Amino acid sequence: MDVNRHVDVFRVNPDDWPNGTPAGKAPDPELGTAIIPADRYFSHEFMQLEWDHIWTKVWLLAGRSDDIAEPGQYICTDIGKESVIIVRQHDGSLRGFHNVCLHRGNRLRPEGISETPDLFRCMYHHWTYDWEGRICHIPDLDTFPQGGPPNDRVDAVRTGEWGSFVWFSLNPNVEPLEEYLDPVPRHLNPYHFERMAWTRDITVEWDCNWKTSVDAFNESYHVQGIHPQLKWYLDDVNIQIDCYERHNRYLIPFAAISPRVSLPTQIPPAIEEIMRNAGMDPAEWEGSTGDIRRAVQLFKRKHGPSQGKDYSELNDDQLTDDYNYMIFPNVTLNTHADDLMLFRQRPHPIDPDKMFYDIWMFELVPEGEEWPERPRHQHFRHGDKTIGQVLDQDAFNLPTVQKGMKSSAFRGLWLSEQELRLRHFHHVIERYVYGHNGPPQGAAKGA
Amino acid sequence: MDLGLAGKKAIIVGGARGIGYAVAEVLAREGVDVAICARGEDAVKNAVANLRKYGTKIFGGSVQVQRSDEYKAWLEAADEELGGADILVPMPSAGSGLGSEKHWQKAYEIDLMGPARAVDVMMPKMAERGSGSVVLVATTSALEAMGGPQPYNALKGSLIIWGKQLALAHGKDGIRVNVVSPGPVEFEGGNWEMIKGTMEKFYNNILRQHPMGRFGKPEEIARAIVFLASPAASWCSGSHLVVDGAFTNRTHF
Repeated sequence: MDVNRHVDVFRVNPDDWPNGTPAGKAPDPELGTAIIPADRYFSHEFMQLEWDHIWTKVWLLAGRSDDIAEPGQYICTDIGKESVIIVRQHDGSLRGFHNVCLHRGNRLRPEGISETPDLFRCMYHHWTYDWEGRICHIPDLDTFPQGGPPNDRVDAVRTGEWGSFVWFSLNPNVEPLEEYLDPVPRHLNPYHFERMAWTRDITVEWDCNWKTSVDAFNESYHVQGIHPQLKWYLDDVNIQIDCYERHNRYLIPFAAISPRVSLPTQIPPAIEEIMRNAGMDPAEWEGSTGDIRRAVQLFKRKHGPSQGKDYSELNDDQLTDDYNYMIFPNVTLNTHADDLMLFRQRPHPIDPDKMFYDIWMFELVPEGEEWPERPRHQHFRHGDKTIGQVLDQDAFNLPTVQKGMKSSAFRGLWLSEQELRLRHFHHVIERYVYGHNGPPQGAAKGA
Repeated sequence: MDLGLAGKKAIIVGGARGIGYAVAEVLAREGVDVAICARGEDAVKNAVANLRKYGTKIFGGSVQVQRSDEYKAWLEAADEELGGADILVPMPSAGSGLGSEKHWQKAYEIDLMGPARAVDVMMPKMAERGSGSVVLVATTSALEAMGGPQPYNALKGSLIIWGKQLALAHGKDGIRVNVVSPGPVEFEGGNWEMIKGTMEKFYNNILRQHPMGRFGKPEEIARAIVFLASPAASWCSGSHLVVDGAFTNRTHF
């Protein structure tokens, strides 16, 4: 690799943290070096295969449990052409159903979070439904000689909760949520996302396929390409990649200087900010800038409790680093001791060249401190507003990647070992789409 | 022009990287035995190994100048090892920083007391030998605003005053004292490289202000320092030389 220093990164011994997030390296899957066919990023046929075999089969992220803590509060969220409503019931459980009126097909509610005291009433002819999607009232029912629609209800969707997040599945026969998410809950429960409060809730319509976006966050190889400033913030070379059955992760040391650049004597501004956020005074630092990461870990370990931050279930690396998880198919979690930066990447209902990029950010609320007010959801188009320097850099290339992949000279993704998570992601996609025997002959032109 | 440096001995404080290393290198190339010290052990080792290729005697130590006793002991040892230093370039720096009282303390301990302690140790020795040359290194940030009201700028500024007064006081001892104020200098592993990577707009803004369209290089500052340090500059004392490619706007009368 193009580095100018060798760096030995301190990493915790996984055996020292038997009850925490498993930190050990998982064996790398043997996934070969074949190209990833390009047409799966833009063909309508593949988009349909994904719909039939992935989006309607797996568990999907809907929202935050604390947004619907009270009975009658609900989340309405779209996936592809579908939309679902998930409602908190009086007994604390969740019920979900398709967001549609069985009369003429109107959507019952717009996307978002809200609450209803008793019923959902269609805005068109005032058919009403209860919190579980059962029809309660049809105006002038006696003018429907055929009676009401069969079963007197909208089709239900499966719902579940984990990690203070709400999940749903359009597949009535889906496996239990915890089983689907395994081993992620075991890995991420120590972060206690329920102690973190919303800080940003943004949806951007991006001009690329949803997988183009997932790929963009699944490797660190692009740091030297599009995030030059992060070389003085994280170690993009000494990364641990772990692939599980359908999900994967990588562990990136933060508060570190990339081996690609010389060690500066002055503390880089972004690392100073990490120190200040931890409660340290960067001006007090006397040592090498290469030793700051470990010092921040030890400082947070010592002073966390007095700051109302319970890090007791996290290992030392987790106090600085990015434990970056991908929950198949579309959730990226940049997990940190004090915050969570989550991306949900959803396909466009009909256009494989577009997607919805949801940015959900949360921050640990120190014990005893008041929870901040929930930010309002914002929605805008690709490039209309800044979403922060790093994410703007990520967003910038995606439309040209999407266009370029259609070139007749481009056969598919030519991946490095640093991009093993992409390979694994596509391997899991293939398993869902084609089954364990892989793609049939001629299924994808680049294969 | 012969600088008259061959066979001379020099001590460079803060000599493992950047301008300090370049000074050591130019001196070694001119045939000077050099002792360098700096904070980072690895950096000193690397610098010493690189400097040895010029064939003069090179001596290095990992020292923190704020630890007065250790620092002074190293200076004594270096002077002895060299067999009496003719040249002293004490230029350690804590670098810039704003917003914490600690920055004042560090600038005082490192940027100011680093040179002050070296001068305290070396002046009597040079006076006894009847000759010596000291070059202090300030900064153009002492002359014109740069990066806000920083302790670094203020305390580096005090070296310009002190350097002149040292020259007045020690002329009778045969010791010359001069001050060099470099403008922004960029080198691999230097802070401007990091600033270029992390604060590109600020970097480009500074770059645009350079009449010559680029930052300085360490050896361009080093050659000026080495000239003032050398016997060739025998009538230069109490001077303050700005080496900045005309970066500063003011006229240096």
